[in-house]
Amino acid sequence: MQYKSQAVAKPYFIAAIILFVAQILFGLIMGLQYVVGDFLFPEIPFNVARMVHTNTLIVWLLFGFMGATYYLVPEEAETELFAPWLAHLMFWIFLVATGATVAGYLLVPYATLAELTGNELFPTMGREFLEQPTITKIGIVIVALAFLFNVGMTVLKGRKTVVSLVLLIGLLGLALFFLFAFYVPDNLVLDKFFWWWVVHLWVEGVWELILGAILAFVLIKVTGVDREVIEKWLYVIIAMALITGLIGTGHHFFWIGTPEYWQWWGSIFSAMEPIPFFMMTVFAFNMVNRRRRNHPNRVATLWALGTAVMAFLGAGVWGFLHTLSPVNYYTHGSQITAAHGHMAFYGAYVMIVLTIISYAMPMLRGRTSANSNKSQVMEMWSFWLMTVSMVFITLFLTGAGILQVYLQRVSDNPQPFLAVQDQISLFYWLREAAGVVFLVGLVCYIASFFVGSREPEAVIEPSGSAA
Amino acid sequence: MPHSVDNPDDWEPVAPGQGLAVTAEALYLINLLLLPVIAFITLLILYFRTITNAPTLAACHLRQTLSASLWAGFLLLAVNLIIVLTGGYQSANVWMLVIIYFTCCHATLVLLGVVGLAKAMAGQCYRFPLVGRDL
Repeated sequence: MQYKSQAVAKPYFIAAIILFVAQILFGLIMGLQYVVGDFLFPEIPFNVARMVHTNTLIVWLLFGFMGATYYLVPEEAETELFAPWLAHLMFWIFLVATGATVAGYLLVPYATLAELTGNELFPTMGREFLEQPTITKIGIVIVALAFLFNVGMTVLKGRKTVVSLVLLIGLLGLALFFLFAFYVPDNLVLDKFFWWWVVHLWVEGVWELILGAILAFVLIKVTGVDREVIEKWLYVIIAMALITGLIGTGHHFFWIGTPEYWQWWGSIFSAMEPIPFFMMTVFAFNMVNRRRRNHPNRVATLWALGTAVMAFLGAGVWGFLHTLSPVNYYTHGSQITAAHGHMAFYGAYVMIVLTIISYAMPMLRGRTSANSNKSQVMEMWSFWLMTVSMVFITLFLTGAGILQVYLQRVSDNPQPFLAVQDQISLFYWLREAAGVVFLVGLVCYIASFFVGSREPEAVIEPSGSAA
Repeated sequence: MPHSVDNPDDWEPVAPGQGLAVTAEALYLINLLLLPVIAFITLLILYFRTITNAPTLAACHLRQTLSASLWAGFLLLAVNLIIVLTGGYQSANVWMLVIIYFTCCHATLVLLGVVGLAKAMAGQCYRFPLVGRDL
């Protein structure tokens, strides 16, 4: 670790991993509720489990992005963080707010939570993924502003690199678009329209900048390829991500009451959305093939390559599968969407956070550059278990989705929703089984922090071998 | 803004036949993603015009992409057709199989092409697993 203040990243990464565990546990509960409807009812109703599953995902990714930023910005800017104490303070505020919000979801009915937190004074609750009480949302804005101030001041006083500037633009966009969570028009069409400005423009817009910047940083470190080469790739990737992703928002405007031209704009631009992910995959493999050194942290390289491949599959391929409006007319809101959502979030964002944790954590825990071989082997097991099980989760949900669309919407005798759900329950059981394997992978991941921690660091292998 | 350069003069030399190798991989990917058949015919023409005098790197990528393209055609068209014809068009299960098969098969072939392209850009030979020819 080159700068002392990079250490503030560590609690963010730990909190991220703890919330990741919570997310997966609630995912498993919810997965079981798909097939055993009254499982844990009324203690944890399906809507609450779903809310905790999705909200913890978003929050732990935010913890991960913040930790990544606090780790890489001092190194990129070649200076200590502007105010490490502020980063620590914001960590505790964010963590307490997150804990209180999740406790609120679990302990009181959602309507009571709305009353207790004064939602009627400034109503923002009740929308999917943005269920947080208004007071929590205000807390998120305060944390984000303090975070951006801290990071911005660090970049201003130090070296300005493409990686840190792209990351900063992504983070600024993240904060800016979150403000639409406070705009809740009475008109339902407008409400949905601007809701997507948070949800879509995060995950298919500015988050891609954050993803690209973190991936570029890790690849510079583990491959030793010239920064100039990597920066050129980064420019092109983020340009394509923004060109396609911004107007590609239109694929969410199908069938919600918006003008018909959105079917053209949405279809054309979102059909191009796989391009930046395709380029990211070429980029990652190209950099690893051209590497000038063999970094002893082999598992971080594995995560980096895995991120590119899985993001291309989940966000690119599975997104394209149902993004054209004539196809989406049938598939809208089916399990195909769930399949895409699972693999895209895992591939693009879960994996990039695990990549930077894998790269940075050994240094944050006092190692020179990498964990022991034993620890890395355990982490590689977790990589494959989680990744392969996510592929199966996606395939089972895709199978369920295709059957659902056919039986419910395409066949000559369309069947009602619940009748179809009964017929595809086998896929839900298989998805649950794959989810259990994912949990095993996550346990291996956590175990990798403890296994082999007293053994010596992995050593650099002689260069020459290629990926 | 200017690039934050570590080693500005440290450019890697281009391997003989690298341009041809990259073109072959690009045509393989274009055949799968943008212009099916047209890109394949172009690859075929490129192969027969250059294979005899091509440097080792280019010859390797030309052979691999041609073999993989032929396999891709078989796996994506023929196998899909067999599934549909033997299962009938009016079955939900057939459509589920066909769509999942096509998506997985096509995505895998594209990913192999991506790895091949990255190898070509790095001046390295590459054998496509399963659908490539022995080196």
